[in-house]
Amino acid sequence: MGTTASQLSKESLSEYQSNPFKERICQVFSTSEQKDGSLTFEDFLDLLSAFSDSATLEIKSHYAFRIFDFDDDGTLDCADLEKLVNCLTGETNDAKLSSTEMKQLISNILEESDIDKDGTVNLSEFQHVISRSPDFVSSFKIVL
Amino acid sequence: DRIQAIRDLPMSFKEKKHISTKQTLKLWQGAMKSIGGKFGTSVLTYFVFLKWLLMFNIFSFLVNFGFVTIPLLVYKQTPNISQNVNNVPQNVTFRGLEILTGAGYFKYTVMYYGSYSNESLVGYNMQLAYFFTIAVYMVLCGISLIFMAVNFKDNYVLADSASNSAWQLLCTWDFSVTNEKAVKQRRNNLCVQLKESLSEMAQQERITVSEKLKHYGINFGCWLLSTSLAFGCAASIYYEAKTLLVPFVVSLINLVIPLFYSLFNKFEHYSNVFLKMSILSVLCYYWMSKVPAKGSGWESMVGQSLYRLVLFDFLFLMLGSFFGEFLSVIGTKLIPRMGVPEFDVARNVLELIYSQTLAIGIYFSPLLPAMQILKFFILFYLKKSQVSLTHNCQPPRRSGRAAQMQTIFIFLLFFPFFVGALSIVAYTAWLTPSKSCGPFRGLNNSFSAVDVWIGDLKNITGSQWVVEIYNNVIRSEIFYFLITLIIVIIYILWQVTNGRKELIRRLRQQIVN
Repeated sequence: MGTTASQLSKESLSEYQSNPFKERICQVFSTSEQKDGSLTFEDFLDLLSAFSDSATLEIKSHYAFRIFDFDDDGTLDCADLEKLVNCLTGETNDAKLSSTEMKQLISNILEESDIDKDGTVNLSEFQHVISRSPDFVSSFKIVL
Repeated sequence: DRIQAIRDLPMSFKEKKHISTKQTLKLWQGAMKSIGGKFGTSVLTYFVFLKWLLMFNIFSFLVNFGFVTIPLLVYKQTPNISQNVNNVPQNVTFRGLEILTGAGYFKYTVMYYGSYSNESLVGYNMQLAYFFTIAVYMVLCGISLIFMAVNFKDNYVLADSASNSAWQLLCTWDFSVTNEKAVKQRRNNLCVQLKESLSEMAQQERITVSEKLKHYGINFGCWLLSTSLAFGCAASIYYEAKTLLVPFVVSLINLVIPLFYSLFNKFEHYSNVFLKMSILSVLCYYWMSKVPAKGSGWESMVGQSLYRLVLFDFLFLMLGSFFGEFLSVIGTKLIPRMGVPEFDVARNVLELIYSQTLAIGIYFSPLLPAMQILKFFILFYLKKSQVSLTHNCQPPRRSGRAAQMQTIFIFLLFFPFFVGALSIVAYTAWLTPSKSCGPFRGLNNSFSAVDVWIGDLKNITGSQWVVEIYNNVIRSEIFYFLITLIIVIIYILWQVTNGRKELIRRLRQQIVN
């Protein structure tokens, strides 16, 4: 893969162009100083090991939390959740949630997972919710 | 330093070339990857299970062929053939129809139990080999079914009743889907599901008591209807079991009734398995009670029936998938509102389990795994085309709603297998093998082969300990004691896990408060 100085930019990960989280994944695993989301070989290895079969639930939920945290502030607040839902639903008008539905959905989410009632979901609350869904580990997987 | 470590790995250029060929040698790896990319993890687990069953059957076929059939073939070639070996009579030739009925020419070949001799060939004890090979096969089959089912349960989406929650829907985005159309499809689906769950939550506050009662009443009525249907089918099989028509009828029932049951969405899985279990147990009972009275070579008759069952099961599976595809393609063109059909993973997995359970008949027809190999191989390509042809195959909408489904699912998976295994055990312990054919002719029951062997072992000085173990452990009451001890230990462990779960729940509540 070249010398230690070679970087993998977002565009070359062509296989995952269709993944809705492609940019966030690159941002999370990138350790470059320019913050442009490019990956060195070690970053790429980190990415693959986090998404592999042998990663534990804790590692996966840690990285999932960082991927979902769009503004990188360490908690999932309403704006993050809204971006998450928009990422996962369609882009056309009828495949989007209306703003009332969105508000209802976000309040449901917070009601379910916000244990200390501070209006945001932090890492431990997120991990608590994740541990209750048995299929998270098997779907948070990329196999080359 | 990490990069240095990787570069130090001792891989020469030749070995790197070999890596790519090794990948092509793995069966179906490219196909599985594309299926996973388009349809996601749950459909992929079905195909992984199918591939695993195929490998298992190849392995068991090789084992059986090696230990049981090859010695017999070798024996047939040697010049000192005694009268005990059944040769093909002069007037029976191979006609094409045998493939369908399994009778006629096949009766005299190594396909069935009947043509295996009971002589000892050059120190190789045929009876013992047959008995132990089949026993080992059954044990391996059981263990691996348990193993696979536990794996399958973990991977497949069998969430608990909180599966409606928005978080569950959001966090289980399937990262292995890479096909762009599939991704778009899933996103649209997710949107629909989120909207549905929102409206359902709003609705749940409005259900009254009378509506709930009506709900329960309907459920009970459906259950009653389905069990009576199952009993009716079982009874009809019992009365018709003499004819060639049995496997045809059985497979027809297996095909038609599930479609009928899919109208009552809730009980679909249990009803299907219940139906299949009852049919299989009726057949087992019929074979054990009525057939031995008939005459010589009845084991071969049973072997033939099993062969026909397997064959018809396969034919009907093929028909079923063609039929289903055809219907769905027409249906979507005529009634666009009906929505695109889904590939019901659970139902297909249960069908696979049923097909594999039929392989219990290996006792009567040692080469049955060969048929299974062919069947599963063709089935893979069939199901692959079915999955891709139901265009835009959707991920399953309702992922296992019933709250109790987890433990019941596993239980239902193994019950048919245990029924079959128990009946085989009952057969070896109690029924007399037929006198004129098969490797156990002349003995009181099949298990006496082991008795005879132990008797022989007494004369060999080195193996006294085997005789000791056999006499003191297996034949005496200690055996039952050991079994009960094991069951008690399992029960205790289960209770401990339950207690721990309760503890975790209470601790969580404390955190919340």
